[in-house]
Formats: sequence, C-alpha cells, structure tokens
Amino acid sequence: MRSRGERAVDLIAALFVALVLLALYSPVLINALFSVVALDDGRIVWESFSLAPYRSVWSDPDVIASLRNTVQVALFAVGAATVLAVLFALYTDREGAVGRQAMELTIYLPFLLPPIVTGLSLLVASAQLGVSRGIATIVVGHTVFVLAVTYRLVRTRLEAMPRSLVEASSDLGASSLQTFRHILLPYLLSAIVTGALLALTLSFDETLITVFLSGDRMTLPLRLWAMMRVGFTQDINALVTVVLAISIALAIAISVRMKPAEFMD
Amino acid sequence: MARRWAAFAAAAAIPTLTVVLPILAFLTLSFFRVEDNQIVRDPNLGNYAEVFGNPTYRGTYLGSLLLCLQVAALTLLIGYPVAWRVWRQRGRVGALLLLLTVLPLFMSYIVKLYTLRSLLGLNGLLNQALVGLGVLEAPSKAFLYNQRAVLLTMTVVYLPFVILPVYLSLERIPHRLLEASTDLGASQWATFRHVVLPLSLPGTVAGALFAFVLALGDYITPQMVGGTSGFTFGRLIWSQFGLAYNWPLGAAMAAVLFLTALVVIVAGGSIARQGRV
Repeated sequence: MRSRGERAVDLIAALFVALVLLALYSPVLINALFSVVALDDGRIVWESFSLAPYRSVWSDPDVIASLRNTVQVALFAVGAATVLAVLFALYTDREGAVGRQAMELTIYLPFLLPPIVTGLSLLVASAQLGVSRGIATIVVGHTVFVLAVTYRLVRTRLEAMPRSLVEASSDLGASSLQTFRHILLPYLLSAIVTGALLALTLSFDETLITVFLSGDRMTLPLRLWAMMRVGFTQDINALVTVVLAISIALAIAISVRMKPAEFMD
Repeated sequence: MARRWAAFAAAAAIPTLTVVLPILAFLTLSFFRVEDNQIVRDPNLGNYAEVFGNPTYRGTYLGSLLLCLQVAALTLLIGYPVAWRVWRQRGRVGALLLLLTVLPLFMSYIVKLYTLRSLLGLNGLLNQALVGLGVLEAPSKAFLYNQRAVLLTMTVVYLPFVILPVYLSLERIPHRLLEASTDLGASQWATFRHVVLPLSLPGTVAGALFAFVLALGDYITPQMVGGTSGFTFGRLIWSQFGLAYNWPLGAAMAAVLFLTALVVIVAGGSIARQGRV
C-alpha cells in the first residue's frame, strides 16, 4: 500500500517531470510553429499560414550544397567507422591481444574528450602534414568521433558470443574467412546496423569538431550557424524544423532497435 | 610473440595516426611561439606562463570552471528527480517518458541553441509571455547575452546527458534489494536514502561528469547566447585559432583544458567504480 505522503511525492515529482519536458520541448515546438505562421505584436497570425519558407530554403543553393557535404561526410565517416569497428573488435577480442587497453583508450578518447580538443588536434596535425582542410579532414574528424560508438556496440555483441560457435566452425574445416562470412558477420549484423545508425545521427549533428576541420566546405550545422548569426528568419525556422525531423526519425529508428541500457555501460 | 606484436602494429596504425599523433602534435605546438605570423620552433613554457600569468586568461579559466560546476550541479539537481520519477513509472507511460527524455540527446546541438536563443530574446516568447501575464511591464533584456543566459542554456542543452545515466543506474538496482528494505520496515525515505541513492551513485557521477566536460569544451553556446559578456575558456581557445591567430597559445590553453577534463574524468571514474554494485 502506498501511503498518502508517498503519493504526494510521486505527484509533485510528476509535475516536475512535466515542467522539465516542457522546457526541453517547447523551444523546438514553438520554432516549428513559427516556421509556418508569422507573429505580429505578440499575437499569432493564423491567416499567415504558409509553407513558402520551406520552398525558399529548398531553393537556397548554399543550403543544398551544405546538405550535399553533410551526406557525403556521413557516408564516408560512418562507412569507415563501421569497418574499423569490426576490425578493431575482432582484434581486441582475441585471446592475448597485445595492447588491448591502449587500443580501447585511443578509440574512446575522442568521444570522452571535449570536442574542441579533438578538433584542434586534428587541425594542427593536418596543418603540419600540409593537408588542406575540406571534406577529407571532416571525414577523419567524424570517423574518430563516432568510432567509439560503433566499436562499443560490436565489441559488446562479440563478447556475448559463445566461443563454441567459432570453434565448431573451424573444427568443421572452415577457413577463418569462411567463419567470418558465415558465422561472425550474421551474428554481429544487428549491432553493426544499430551502431551505423547512431554514428549517422552523431555525424549529421556534429558541429564542435567540424568547425576546426571544414575549411571552406560547410556542413549543414555550420551553414545553420552562419545563417543564425545574421538573425531570425522564417527560413531558418523551416530549415531547423527539417533538421529536427531528420534527427527524430533517426532516433526512433534507433530506439526500436536497442534498449536504452545499451547506450552506455 | 612476434606475430602478436605485428598484429598489434597493424591494428594500432590508424588510431595512432588519427588520435595519438594529433594530440602529441598540438601538445608540442603549445611549447612554440608565434612571431610575425610565423611559428617559431623554440621550445619554452612561455605560453603556459601566459595562460596562468595573464589575469584575463586566468580569470576566464577559473570563471569557466565555476560555470561548468554550476552547470553540473544544476543539471544534476534537475536531472536526478526527473530520472527517479521516470524510473518509478511502470508500463507504457514509463516507456514513453523514457523516450521523451532520451529523444533530446539526438536533437541537433546547434538547433537547440537557435531555438533557445529565439525563446530568450527581447522579442522572444518568454518576454512576450511575461509581459502578457503582467509580470513585466516591458520586454526585458535580462534573459539573453549575459552569463546567466549561458548557464541557463547549457543546463537545458546538457540536461538529457545527465538524466539518462542516472536512469540507467537506477534501472540496475535489483528489485529484491528494495523489497528487502521495505520488508525490514524501512520507510520509503529510509530506503531511498540508504539503498537507492548510494546504488545510483555511479550514474549520478557519470552524469555530472558528462555535463561538466561538455560545458567545459563548449565554445558555441557562450557565443550564441552570451554575447560579449559570455566569454569562456573554450571561446578563448577558439579565438586563438580564428581572429587572434596565435595557434601555440591556443594549443597551450587547450592543453590546460585537456588536462582538466582528464583529471575530472579519471577522478569521476574512480568514484563511480567504487559505488558499483
């Protein structure tokens, strides 16, 4: 039986949760609203409803170029991080692997450190190597950042795999490539896909590392930042709403694939 | 044995090239100096003396530490009760609440800043609402372009990073421990105080750690909502790589930030491990 005091605490805490959710979501919802209606002297003018800002953003060549850069970066970075995650996990999972902890530390480091450190260390390194900044440097920055996530998921799945599966496969005369192709890969596939989706979300939104590595190639968040410095317009509201819709769609795709407990451990 | 080391060399090549060497490169740079827009490779501690000797830089560093502590404290103070209540809620409503608290983690950082800034501004909804309710006579500039705005915005932006780890550590508490505590006659408060709170310590520490480190390295929030008075250490570093164009000094400042983050992460990690079930 719950006491009256306990119910009161639960109720107050529930109100608090509602308040916090309001603080988290109202800025976003209000923004979405003002992307389609105008505000006049503190009143919402419902008659002004129009999707014109969305059309105007869609025909802005700078926005389209940045979107193309973002997609390009995400494809390369997520692809690289996924392949590396599998290779590294297979390595660290081996019995008696040399330097396992050092490997894991360097994989997790860019994710744990403030992004400004990751960003400027790559900037300094590329300047010293004489590499000019552009898509390639952004891809490297995003890859080291999202690798922590893709690696973690693959590694956890690999750890849970019964050793007997691989042993049985080699006992039956399969080569290590055959074992990888027919036993390991199918077993790891769902972790790989979830990791790639998470990596995609991170790459899509990444700003604090990208700023240091972009040169004159802008990704979507950088373009948004540049537009925002000018002021508030309905076009920005519209673009912001589109970006949010994409993030939320990715988040929902991920949430049906994994339990939140798998996020960190 | 040689084969093992060869395998390690192959596996470690990429992380060495993309993580270890860049960190070493910027640490090395922090000992050089700039003269006539040229980097002079003459190792000395001048930049570090400047970071700690120059009162503006030192003040900005200490001010940022204080700001990040405030962000960590506020996000924890707000995030813990939220995580606790979501954890108490069973069934579909609980699952929905969890999704709603996790979802903001996926929302674009720059987008959150933009929406918060437009909310807090002179013509923002907060002002409009307060004027409409008669709380304020005229829209106030008090909500934007100052340190308080930076604190407030960072708290909202980094709150979800605290709620999730706290929730996960609450989830991990075995139910039988709660039942045992109740069966032994402990009040709800006593159970919370002696079972729930200590066992959720790892997540609590991890959450505070995330908030602190994220706030420490953030240089866009202070610029977007802090205006000229929202100058933080992160922003100072960023300006050395932009307008001020003093990479070695910026590298030294980043090295200080790097060490600060490392100390916080290691200290927090050891506290969290001690509390693990």
